[in-house]
Amino acid sequence: MELRFSIEDERFREEIADWLADNLTGEFAAIRFRGGPGDEHMFPEERKAWERRLAEGGWTCIGWPEAYGGRGASIEQQVIFHEEYARAGGPGRMGHIGETLTGPTLIAFGSDEQRERFLPGIRAGEELWCQGYSEPSAGSDLANVKTRAEFDETSQQWRITGQKVWTSLAHESDYCFVIARTEPDSAGHRGLGFFLLAMDQPGITVRPIEQMTGTSEFNEVFFDEAVCGAGDIVGAPGDGWKVAMGLLGFERGVSTLGQQMLFQNELDEIVREAKRNGAARDPMIRQRIADAHIGLKIMRYNSMRTLSGNADDGSLQPEAMIYKLYWSTWHRNLGKLAMDVLGPEAEICAGAPYELNRLQSLFLFSRADTIYGGTNQVQRNIIAERALNMPREPRG
Amino acid sequence: MHFDFTEDQRLFRDSVRNFLRSEITSERVRGLWESGPDTALWSQLVELGLTGVTVPEEHGGLGMDELDFVLLAEQCGYVALPEPLVHTALVAVPTLKEIGGGLAATWLPRVAAGDALVLVGLAGWVEDGDRAQLLLLERGGELHAVDPDAAELRANASVDPSRRLFTVRFNSAAEAIAGTAVVGAARDRGALGAAAQSLGLAQRMVDMAVAYTGERKQFGKPVGSFQAVKHHMANVAVRLEYARAPVYRAAWSLANGHPRAALHVSQAKLAACEAAALAAKNCIQAHGAMGYTWEVDLHIYMKKAWALAGAWGDTGFHKQRVSDALFEDKLPIGAGATF
Ligand SMILES: Cc1cc2nc3c(=O)[nH]c(=O)nc-3n(C[C@H](O)[C@H](O)[C@H](O)COP(=O)(O)OP(=O)(O)OC[C@H]3O[C@@H](n4cnc5c(N)ncnc54)[C@H](O)[C@@H]3O)c2cc1C
Repeated sequence: MELRFSIEDERFREEIADWLADNLTGEFAAIRFRGGPGDEHMFPEERKAWERRLAEGGWTCIGWPEAYGGRGASIEQQVIFHEEYARAGGPGRMGHIGETLTGPTLIAFGSDEQRERFLPGIRAGEELWCQGYSEPSAGSDLANVKTRAEFDETSQQWRITGQKVWTSLAHESDYCFVIARTEPDSAGHRGLGFFLLAMDQPGITVRPIEQMTGTSEFNEVFFDEAVCGAGDIVGAPGDGWKVAMGLLGFERGVSTLGQQMLFQNELDEIVREAKRNGAARDPMIRQRIADAHIGLKIMRYNSMRTLSGNADDGSLQPEAMIYKLYWSTWHRNLGKLAMDVLGPEAEICAGAPYELNRLQSLFLFSRADTIYGGTNQVQRNIIAERALNMPREPRG
Repeated sequence: MHFDFTEDQRLFRDSVRNFLRSEITSERVRGLWESGPDTALWSQLVELGLTGVTVPEEHGGLGMDELDFVLLAEQCGYVALPEPLVHTALVAVPTLKEIGGGLAATWLPRVAAGDALVLVGLAGWVEDGDRAQLLLLERGGELHAVDPDAAELRANASVDPSRRLFTVRFNSAAEAIAGTAVVGAARDRGALGAAAQSLGLAQRMVDMAVAYTGERKQFGKPVGSFQAVKHHMANVAVRLEYARAPVYRAAWSLANGHPRAALHVSQAKLAACEAAALAAKNCIQAHGAMGYTWEVDLHIYMKKAWALAGAWGDTGFHKQRVSDALFEDKLPIGAGATF
């Protein structure tokens, strides 16, 4: 076990820190610390420009293999990148779905042609992606998707018809990956396909959904004979579930480290606020802040342990099943803690009609953490049945 | 950066685990509750070389450190080992090493060989005090080497019957041999040992409850198929699994003299003891009335976890250490300051 970074890694740290200090200036100074969770609708144009700046510096997709335009950065370097990015106040990444979900999925399951077509746009920070999984009747029961995909022999295209919902950033995205049913009479996870669709086409309508924050980051997306080419299905028709689940595995990889650094910034802000307004003298608040600090360290140590390829010592195949439940609960509690630190001030909006300060947004947005990406209840079912091997619940 | 154990560390852990699980059954623990300590068991541990794991090689030990021992301590927890082995390897031996000089040269070989038991007592308490040949006792922040015959030991019945806790007083003339730094380090290593054992205890309780709820049927189904039961167990599983990394992290920090090792120890102690407390609560619930009986073994592990939660700094002590560090700017809290 070695929990220190090597000298080369520390040199890498200086390199990225310097680059960020030089580039998060001028037009980009205003978006420092912006666009994170709960704030993702803000400054889209500036943040898109920032994606391109990052790409020019070679700082997008650093974990991808060099053959696909990445740096083939080691786990350590990726950790350092995320640390320095957050420390410098790097804005919430618009390109994260493409970089952390689409890219790795295409690298693992895609065809050469798909990689050639889609990876460069993601790498260049120019093409943004969204995730078309959930539907009105397919939430926790994701395999219940009804959206249909039919192959049209004459045009040699797939035609997609149906509806997705809760699609984050669909209104800002160039592409969407969609799971749809390729076999009309199939049910459950059989008979699905995984499609890559351009958003800008007549068959797709995006309608924003207003959230309790008063802002809109997610959308309904309607498909009415939307089209994509014969080569735009990842894997074969019927492989959709396998690909979709493989993708969810990437959701829990190195990208979690970036998330933890954002959490650290939020916690720091809460500590500063508690010192400023005197809440830090309240022993209950101090205890809860200590608990939050410990919880974040626990996530961090566990991510590092998982990323070190730890196979043994526990019992559960830990990270995959546990991380979502742990962080979402932690973050939801952090939101509440932030409001309790603010005290009565928490109830005053930053501006009319419904402008929220950062901590208020954190509180409201963190109500969703325990829902998206698999609700806490569903995570507990999975942990109990697959990690603890408890008896399965009869399913309808 | 590599957050993992070596193959050797794992193999050592596995062999100790196999020994402990076959020898230290719950019946044996219950037997020792009644009979008091059993020299046969201690001799077995000595024969395996376990009392000398952390003793330097020149003194007849294996020369390993906290990181090597932490996995073993976890296994001691799993069987609720009613012997001061974790104390010996993680507290007494490192404390002797830090004191050094003639005291270390005299006692370390004897501890490794199993000829002597040395125990450290803080704040007027010492475990298994009547069995020791040398006591290292704290008073007023300083440590004193005390001959047990010269100390006044009073036995206390403990809620964990295998924890033989003594109140101790000794001659005020005894000379101090070490100061607050050594005392603090002893407490931190004790806390690490308690944390590691708590992981094992929690795992034991989880294993018992998962087995029980898989067999016990109500409404025609195993009770473990009900979500309300599953979710209780899943919550424990998450806490427990996630408490391991901070414990290993703290072990590494102690072994490597990390400047914030004490803080890492507090994180580990809180995480592991809370996991064990949650395990105890939820696993008792999952057993129904059976979980409340003396007959079912659950309380053996629950009570050890209970005792360890208060040992070597309780929740209040460790939480305060963390929050003081956070609020007194002693701790860099920026995004990069995470390892
Ligand atoms: C902010 C946000 C962003 C999102 N972004 C995206 C996106 O970009 N792309 C996308 O595809 N989706 C997205 N989603 C959708 C998200 O994945 C779903 O909301 C989630 O899977 C839950 O589905 P549901 O909302 O239909 O809840 P339901 O499945 O209807 O659940 C309702 C309640 O029932 C419980 N429940 C359901 N089934 C079980 C069961 N078997 N056992 C126990 N309890 C159960 C749930 O835990 C929950 O409490 C987003 C959601 C949010 C809130």
